[in-house]
Amino acid sequence: MSKTAKKKPYLRALLLGALSAASYFYLFTHVNLVMEYFVKGGWYAALPILTALYFSVVHGSFASTILSIAGLQAAKGTGH
Amino acid sequence: MKKWIVLILAAIFITLAFAPAAFAESAPPADFKIGSFTAVDAASHTATFVPSETGVPTTVAIDESINPADVKLDDKAMVSFSSTDGAEAATEITPMFLGLTRDKLIALLIVGLIGGLLSGFIGSGGAFVLTPAMMSLGAPGAVAVASNMCHKFPKAMVGTYKRFRYGQVDVKLGLVLAVSSIVGVQVGFQIQKWILDSWGSAGSDLYVSFVFVIILLVVGLFVFKDAMTMSKGDVKAKTPKLALRLQKIKIPPMIHFKKADVVISVWVTLPVGFFTGLLAATIAVGGFVGVPGMVYVIGATAMVASATELLIAFVMGMWGSVQWAMAGLVDVRLVLIILATSLVGVQLGALGTTYVKDYTIKLVMGTVMVIVAVSRGVKIPVYLDHLGIVSLDKSLAGALDALSFWTLIAALLTAGGIISAAMIKGIVRARVEEKEAAAAGSA
Repeated sequence: MSKTAKKKPYLRALLLGALSAASYFYLFTHVNLVMEYFVKGGWYAALPILTALYFSVVHGSFASTILSIAGLQAAKGTGH
Repeated sequence: MKKWIVLILAAIFITLAFAPAAFAESAPPADFKIGSFTAVDAASHTATFVPSETGVPTTVAIDESINPADVKLDDKAMVSFSSTDGAEAATEITPMFLGLTRDKLIALLIVGLIGGLLSGFIGSGGAFVLTPAMMSLGAPGAVAVASNMCHKFPKAMVGTYKRFRYGQVDVKLGLVLAVSSIVGVQVGFQIQKWILDSWGSAGSDLYVSFVFVIILLVVGLFVFKDAMTMSKGDVKAKTPKLALRLQKIKIPPMIHFKKADVVISVWVTLPVGFFTGLLAATIAVGGFVGVPGMVYVIGATAMVASATELLIAFVMGMWGSVQWAMAGLVDVRLVLIILATSLVGVQLGALGTTYVKDYTIKLVMGTVMVIVAVSRGVKIPVYLDHLGIVSLDKSLAGALDALSFWTLIAALLTAGGIISAAMIKGIVRARVEEKEAAAAGSA
């Protein structure tokens, strides 16, 4: 292992994973309520858009953390 | 640089403000209402309908063509009304949301993962298979298109962020192309509408397939051939001749795209964005013109072009999603299920680009384009049959439909396979080199 190897972000993965799973669980256990309001159209369009953005940030960060724990990092020499 | 970006962003907002129908793929249909039926009276052929928008129950007539016993109560449906006989009647009732079974869930997760991988790697993809996949699982076409788009823009956002961090996204180029592609989408949408009005949906399908097959075959084979030539010799990415010639045209304003390392007249970039938008409005995969356009016309590397395409997909997809969500057509369950795996895939694909050479991106892109073209080409006889130009046996038409769908899946799997193999090879090579360097250092 190189000296620069960082500690693996297990806690971060755990927290983000829990938040992502809880969000999925909440949404799918309230799916009837969600589907009632999300398809109303007009200004209610903000609901599906913001939900998609929220999940992409939370679940996306979780996925990113998992990939780095799995040792999948970008090749050296890339990035700034 | 900052001045340019502010200027381009302003142009995007102004264009969007004057272009209410500017969304990728087609426009949301307008002649329907979303709501649920609460009671049906078979004797009088009427039903109580509660539109989602107002929530006020109203009695509506049910067209003779619909059996009142088939009307499902309390389920959300898209209902088309027509008033041909003087009185308004519901002529078409489509259940909006498919029931999610375990098999459907698994199918969506797998398609999401590989679709994400592909778009992280080549800048677009997945969309061409997700919409038909959702439709074949039972979602109405409009809901499938809307949900696909609403999943595409957050995925593209995450992909753009990752590849920006790898230093591959040319923000200025992406925004310049987004402006002209919005105009392309408008024109593409008008052409679609004109064809739909003149020749109906079979005519429109035939036109779309024709564009699909011709463009994807020509461009795809060209990209594929280029990738093969580059892979044989140890050739570094060279600026294509056409791009070099176009870079010599010095009609102001000239723009310096830093990351793409190109100084080119803005007038050369306009057609690339325009045709990207036109294709996005026609066949839903603008990236299949956008990426080759950025490489062969503007002169960016495939690495920068595919990363920049993600930014364009984000801008266009976000705007499109707003339109479709305002029509109330997004099935957020489908969006979130696909995102569960596609957000992993897109980051994996983005990461993969850092381990491969430029030609691998071209190879994957060319291969996918050609297979998708074949998939669409297979369906041309079906549309010719619908138009009455040829006569096709029903079972043969069904077989061609299935063949077309499975070819799309094959495109996805082939691409997923090439990307994974290239990535694993790259990672193993990088680790071996790292170990050797460490051994040499300690020796």
